Order: sequence, then C-alpha cells, then structure tokens
Amino acid sequence: MGDKLDVQQGTLALMILKTLDLLGPLHGYGIARRIEETSKNRLSLNYGTLYPALLKLEQEGYVSAEWSQSENNRRAKFYALTPAGRKQLARETREWQATADLIAAFLTPRRETK
Amino acid sequence: VRQIRALMSRITGLFAGRRADDDLREELQAHLEMETAENIRRGMSPEEARRQALLASGGLTQAAESVRDQRGLPWIEELVRDLTVGFRSLRRMPGFSVAVILTLALGIGANTAMFTVLRGTLLRPLPNRDGNRLVYLRQSATATQQNNTLFSVPEVADYRAASHTLAQIAEYSAMTFTMADSDGTPSHVQAGIVSGNYFDVMGLDAVIGRVTNRADDGPTAAPVTVLSFPFWIQHFGGDRRVVGRTLRVNDKLTTIVGVAEAAPLYPQATDVFVNMVTSPHHLGATMVTNRSHRMTEMFARLKPGVSVDDARRDADRIASIAHRDHPESYPTGAHYAVSIAPLKQAINERATLTFWLLMGAAGFVLLIACANVANLTLMRGVGRQREMLVRSALGASRWRLRRLLLTENLTLSLLGGALGVLVAFAGLKLLVAFAAQLTPRANEIRVDGLVLAVGLATSVAAAIALSFVARLNGNPNSSVLVGGGRRSTLGRGGQRFQRTLVIAQIAVCMVLLTGAGLLVRTLGKLQSVETGVRADHALVMDLPVTGSLETVFRNAAANLAMYERMRDRVASLPGVRVASLAFAAPLRKTIIDFDIKADGFPTNPGDPPPHAQLKTVDPNFFAAAGIPLLEGRGMASTDRDSAPIAVVLNRSLATRLFGDRDPVGQRVAWTGEILKVFGPGAGEWRTVVGVVGDTREDGLDNQPTATMYQSFAQGPIIGATLVVRTTQDPLALASPISRIVREVNPVQIIEHVQTLEQIRDETVAPRRLNALFIVSFGLLALLIAMVGIAGVLAFSVSSRTAEIGIRMSFGADAARVRRMVLGEGGVLLGLGVFAGLAGALAVSRLLTGLLFGVTAHDPVTLGLVALALVGVGLAACWLPAAKAARVDPSVALRAE
Repeated sequence: MGDKLDVQQGTLALMILKTLDLLGPLHGYGIARRIEETSKNRLSLNYGTLYPALLKLEQEGYVSAEWSQSENNRRAKFYALTPAGRKQLARETREWQATADLIAAFLTPRRETK
Repeated sequence: VRQIRALMSRITGLFAGRRADDDLREELQAHLEMETAENIRRGMSPEEARRQALLASGGLTQAAESVRDQRGLPWIEELVRDLTVGFRSLRRMPGFSVAVILTLALGIGANTAMFTVLRGTLLRPLPNRDGNRLVYLRQSATATQQNNTLFSVPEVADYRAASHTLAQIAEYSAMTFTMADSDGTPSHVQAGIVSGNYFDVMGLDAVIGRVTNRADDGPTAAPVTVLSFPFWIQHFGGDRRVVGRTLRVNDKLTTIVGVAEAAPLYPQATDVFVNMVTSPHHLGATMVTNRSHRMTEMFARLKPGVSVDDARRDADRIASIAHRDHPESYPTGAHYAVSIAPLKQAINERATLTFWLLMGAAGFVLLIACANVANLTLMRGVGRQREMLVRSALGASRWRLRRLLLTENLTLSLLGGALGVLVAFAGLKLLVAFAAQLTPRANEIRVDGLVLAVGLATSVAAAIALSFVARLNGNPNSSVLVGGGRRSTLGRGGQRFQRTLVIAQIAVCMVLLTGAGLLVRTLGKLQSVETGVRADHALVMDLPVTGSLETVFRNAAANLAMYERMRDRVASLPGVRVASLAFAAPLRKTIIDFDIKADGFPTNPGDPPPHAQLKTVDPNFFAAAGIPLLEGRGMASTDRDSAPIAVVLNRSLATRLFGDRDPVGQRVAWTGEILKVFGPGAGEWRTVVGVVGDTREDGLDNQPTATMYQSFAQGPIIGATLVVRTTQDPLALASPISRIVREVNPVQIIEHVQTLEQIRDETVAPRRLNALFIVSFGLLALLIAMVGIAGVLAFSVSSRTAEIGIRMSFGADAARVRRMVLGEGGVLLGLGVFAGLAGALAVSRLLTGLLFGVTAHDPVTLGLVALALVGVGLAACWLPAAKAARVDPSVALRAE
C-alpha cells in the first residue's frame, strides 16, 4: 500500500463530479470504486475522506442525495449531479486544465540562453 | 452565494442531531457491506472479506466524526462544550468565582455608568442640524468680575454687519414672563425672546406647527409663541391641538404657532420662545439704540470652511473697532473682551472636567479590579497546575488549554459585565440627577447599543488579558505531577509579578484617594467660609410682581402697599421673630447692577470703575438676614416716599470707594451709560448712612459681592422677597406664611420657598455630589486593593507554612512571625504609597479647577491619605499575619 497516493484536497470534488457526470446517480461505494479503478488503484479513498467531501458538495448544492434501491436490491444513498453541479464541473475542468498546462510549462526543462 | 448557502446548511446541520447520525451510520454500513460482498465475489472468505473492507474504510467512527465536523460548525460546538466545562469548574470554586464576578461587576459597572453619562453629554453630537458648526459668543469684563455681560442690540448689529466668519447670527434674550392660565391664575414661565431666524440658526425644526421665521421680526408682526418640547409635554400634556391656541404672557395675547423639537436648552431651561414684538421693551428705543444695554445672547453658525479660531480672530477685530468708536460703553480698565466657543463646549462648560475626571476614576477602579482578578487567577493557576498537566498529558494541546482558560475567564467576565451593567442601570438615575446640575444635556443620557457594546468589549478584553496572565506549563514531565502535587507556590517570576500588581493597585488607590481627599478638603473649606448672613432659622420666598414692566411701574404704589400688608400680617404669626421685605433674597444676586462713583474720591484712570449690585431692603431686613450693622444706621421706617434716598454700603464696597476714610456722610451716585435706561434722577448723588457686613452672592468660592442697599419703600418695586427669621423650624412655617400671602392676594405667585441654609448649600451641592462620587470610587478601589494585598499575603503565608514552622522551631515567637508577615505587607504598602505619591502629584493638577482653599499639592491631604492607606493596609495584612503566627511548627513540618 506504500505506493498509494493520498487524494489531494480539491481534486476529489472534481473527480466525484466527473464520475457522476459519466455514470449518472451513484452511491458512495460506487463512486469510490470508480475513482479507485480510474486511478488504476493508485488512489484509495477511505470513508473519512469520501463522505465529508460528498456532504460538502451536497451543502453547496452541486449534488443531490436520495435513498433508493441499488442494483442488487440493497438500500443505498444515491448521489446525482444537479444543474449547478454540471456548471461547476465545466468550470473546474477548465480551471484544472489551465493550471495543469501552467504547471507543465514550469516543469518542462528548458535551457536558458545568456 | 454558494458560501452563504453552505453556511446556512451547516447552521441547520448544527441541529440535525440524531436523525442525521442514524442516516450516516446506515450509509457507511451499506458501503461496508457492498465492499464485503464484492470481496467475497472476488473469492475471499467472508471473515477476510469483511476484515479487508474495514481496513479500507479507515475506521467507521473516525469517518463519522469527520462527516459530523463537515455537517455543523465545529468551533461553535466546541465553544459550547468549553463553556459547559468552564461553568462546571467555576461552580466547584464558588468563593473564587463570586469574588471575581463581584470585583469585575463593580469595575465594569462604574465604567459603563460613567461612559453612559459621558456619551450622552460630551461625546454625542448635538441634536441640532450641523450642531458642530454652532458657536456661542460671550462678552466679559474680567476686571469687574462680570464673566458674561451679554450683548446689546447695537453690538449684535456690529457682528451682523462686519463678520466674515459667521454665516448667521441669532438673538436670544432670557426673561421671566407671567403666564395667565385659562382661568386667569398667573404663573411664571422662562421665556426666550428670539429673533425670527433663531430656530434656523440653531438648526431646529418644529415637531408640530411651525417655528419662528423672518416674518415674525419687527414691530408690525403678530405676537407668536413657540413652545419648548419639555414645556409642551409638562404643561400641555403633549396635546397636538395647542397649535393655534392663544397664550397670554406678560399681558400680551400671543398665538401658539408650534412646538420646537427637543434640544439642549441653553443658557436657561426655556419654556416658551416668543418673538420680539411680544416684549415691548425689546423693540423700545433704549434696547435698540443703547450700546450698554446688554440683554442679548448671541448664537451663530460658522461659515463653511471656517474654524473657531478664525471666528475668534474675526470677533477680536470687530470688538476692537467698537472699543475705539464707542469708548463710553467700554470703560478702560474693565477689560471688555469677546470669546467664542463651540456651542457644545459652552453647554457642557461646567460638566466637562468633572465628567472626564469621574471617567478617569472609574477607569482606575477597573484597573485595580483587573489587577485583583489577575492576582486571584494567578493563585488559582497554582492550584490548577496539576489539573492542567493532567489535561496536557492526556493530549490537550497548549492552544486547547489556553482556550479552556479563556472560556472560563470569559464566563466570569461576562457574568461580571452583565452584573456590572445592572449596577450601572441602578446607578444611572442618581447619575442623571447629578449630571442635570452641570449640563442641560443630562436628559439625553441613556443606555444604548454602543454603551452596551463598550461594556461587552470591556468584559471580553478583561477575559483575554486574564487568560494570558496564567502561565501554562506544557511539559507533562514536570515535577509537579511526579511529586504528587503537594507543592503549591509560584515561581520567582510569578511572585514578582504578583507583588508588582499589588504595588500598582496601592499606587492607583493613592492617586484616587488623594483626589477624593482634595475634594473633601475643598468642601470643608467652603463650609467654613463666612456667608455674611445667619443662615439658620431663616425662611425666604419670592413674591414676584406680574405683568409687563409698564404695568409693574404703573402699579408700584399698590404693590408696595400689598407687600407691606403681607409682611405685617406674617410678622404677627406665632413662631416668627422678624419678617422683612427685600428685592432679591440674601445670598442671591439681584438683576440690577451699576458702575458707581464716589463724590471726591475719583478712581485712578485705567482702573476698572467700581461696580455694585443694588438691593432694596426694608428696615427689618438686616436683622432678619442676620447681617451685622458695622457703622452708622441701617434702613429706617422714615426712608420712604419723598424723603432723600438713603444708601447703606456693604464693607467691601465702602472700602473700595473710600479706603479707610469714614464712609458715613459721603455721597455716591450711579454712573455709566446704563443710567439712560432709568431716566432722569437715577444718577443723582445720594448720602451714605451706614455700613453693613459683606455677603457672598457670587457663591462661597468667590469674593464678597459689592452691594449697595436702598430702601425697599423707595423702589423700584419690581418684585419682593419675604425674609423671615423664625424661632422654630423655618420650613414648618412655609405653609402658614403662604396662606397669609394668598389671603392678601389670592393669585400671588410664590416661588423659591427655601431656607437660607438651602441657598447657601447651592454652591456646595454639586461639589458635594462630585466629591461623593470620587470618594465612593476611592473607597471602592481601597476595598478592592485591600482584599488584593491581604489575599497575596495569605497566599504567601500558606505556601511558606513549612518555612514558618522551621523558623518557629528555631525559636521565633508568634510576635516575631507576625512582624515578619506585616513587614512583608509593609514593604508592598510603602512602595505602593511612594509610587502613588508621584502619580498623585502628577495627576492632581488636573483637579485645580475644582478646588477651593487647597492647592493640588496640598501636603496635609497627601500626608493624611498616605497615612490612612498604610494604616488600613496594615490592618488588612493583620489577618494573614495572625494566621502565620498561629502556625504550629510540628504540624507544619509534618505536612511537608
């Protein structure tokens, strides 16, 4: 487990929103599985990280939550993207892209001429 | 908006409680089961599957806790928890808590109360529109001790015409008017005769109806009355239908046109404002043309961008032109001058120094209170070292401990502050009554949000300061924990700090008590001043004439006969020794004063002309008032009608006019421009027939008032005061005498029924209240400081029980131990008094304006206060000293 990464603050929200955007309404376990799989198991989400983040998104109105039956007939709380969440996802994706480009530009080695 | 929405849902989350917790548990449980099922599907055994799932979860309880933190506002929940803990630990120490709360309550209460007064009177802007642009002009003639001569109409015109700095000038002239009620019963009202622009200049609007305007000026305007707000409430019960009604004042029928909005009434508590035409005198030739006929107050508004200093320079310029062009109205040597002050400052002139002084005293009390509480906290901190160490060993961070202390102190100081505000509320009535003697703004004093906020801020500041006094020792390996916690003493630094606090307390106490002492000595000096009258067993009452001046002069003979009939019937009343008539009561100034010249004794050119008040008295007056006859004769019953007018001087005036020559038989006359008002004959020579003792009409703290007496019967009869010397309690005779007066004249106005002692006390009363407040603050400070020093010594004794035991077992007797502890206290006291002496010398100079007969550095006061402080201090130290002396060496040593 030593090679697993801790999820960075702020990026988790984006991952959750993207997951819900792609897969539709999903319960906490499903979100965690999807994120872990996408990261090729380099990320592991414990409950103490995932659920506060979900609650925060719910408080901000980006996701809605509702109890319902899961695929194998288990009662679970399903999270779904709200219209505000969709807008937020677009915005964050844009910002994240810009930040990533910027960081990449900084980290690319370049010889300076005198 | 997102943040607000999130915050709202977090706040509701605070109250979500159990249902949300169940919800969360179910959700986490579902997650766990799904993961377990998945693991089984991958081929794990059910036990292994569940174990792996749990491992991955990172702990259900921890997760639940972090979700809970996200759900609500954790710091609020912690604060509530801290407060509960703090409250509980305080309940375990009721003695300490009560001591701290009471000390803080007194300190914060005194400050809240004084700040309330200060804010209502000195700090808040005037309610007048643009009140900070308003100024009050004052003319004085310092050399003749006239500190406010007012202005004449020609002088007002000078400023109107020539001022570059004053935008508008309003005139106000104070008079007492007779007001006839609907059934014709007369009563007195205080009238302000104002120019039409008065309310415009003062920035005041009408509450109902209208205020005066330019159209109300001049001889052809209709007489109108504007009621002052308080008079409208008191006399008309706030009836809105008064507008349009008529009001008869001084025999003139006026129409009430409106009520002015409430604002400080200055220079007098005005009942009605009337226009000039209502008082014929104010449009008469004398008033309008005589430069020396000064009856008008000037209020003005500064032009935009002009400072008060600019206006002062401007006024000096205008005054010096007047002095050059009209020398007869400004006798050289009298030192006529004009000063300008912002209206707010003029209104609060008598209050400013006193209130700031009291605020300072209250601040000192709070300082001492905080020092005391700090000391208590320090000592308690020692007892709690163990508790703090245990807590920190159990993982509480330093910050967490600090916060615990802070919430405890906050609980204490907020309770203290709340109690203090209650104390302030309770004392406010007394304070307002006191303030009313010094400023017309006293009725604006009220507890408002800002005052409460300051009280709250004071409490919180005290709590924060106290929390940092207690030193936190964060090292859990400290010997205190290991050694079983028997040691209970402060480190060297802590002790030094504690002692410094005590010394500071005593020093501040010394400063406060010195101030109190100086004021008390001032009272004593004032009380021993000779008033010049026999104040005991004397009753006075004013019996004013009614109607305009014209009516009064027409009825002079009838009024004289009426007054004499009243006097003679009162004289036959049992319990009355002497009854007499005078115009103006003893110790009260008359409204008439003149410059005087003496035949054959010219004043040196350049000296101010002799100035005196005129009193008219009947033959019994000097006996009734108890004023001694020094030379010649007093007034005689023959000094009436067409007999030559006889004059009696008081000693000051006689000396001023004739030096050490015999005044009896010399001639004197009124002089100056003002004579024109009184017509021919007013300035003729009159013969001095006697000299009587001095009296102090300008207050006990002033020089005797130069006075010239003439016969009451020879007039002018413009009112009377009945002065009665009694054989019994004078106030008991007030109602039988009033009855007799009313039998003679059923509608006679009777005012100012007082004993001479009460009049004498008028100079002293505001000072007495002032001294009372400072003395109470001083005593409060003394009490707190004494508790402080006794507490510190007691603590020191209890932590040195073993040392004392050893000393005693080596042969020190009880007296020696007692001396040792007293000596310890004595050193603190000595240092405190010494520091206080320096402070008192520096601070007491501020008091100079309030002192009489003592200097600010009065060595007697300083010495007595220092002695008293040391005496009381040693008495306070006696308790711990006696306790130390009772230490049983065997018990003390075994205890260690």
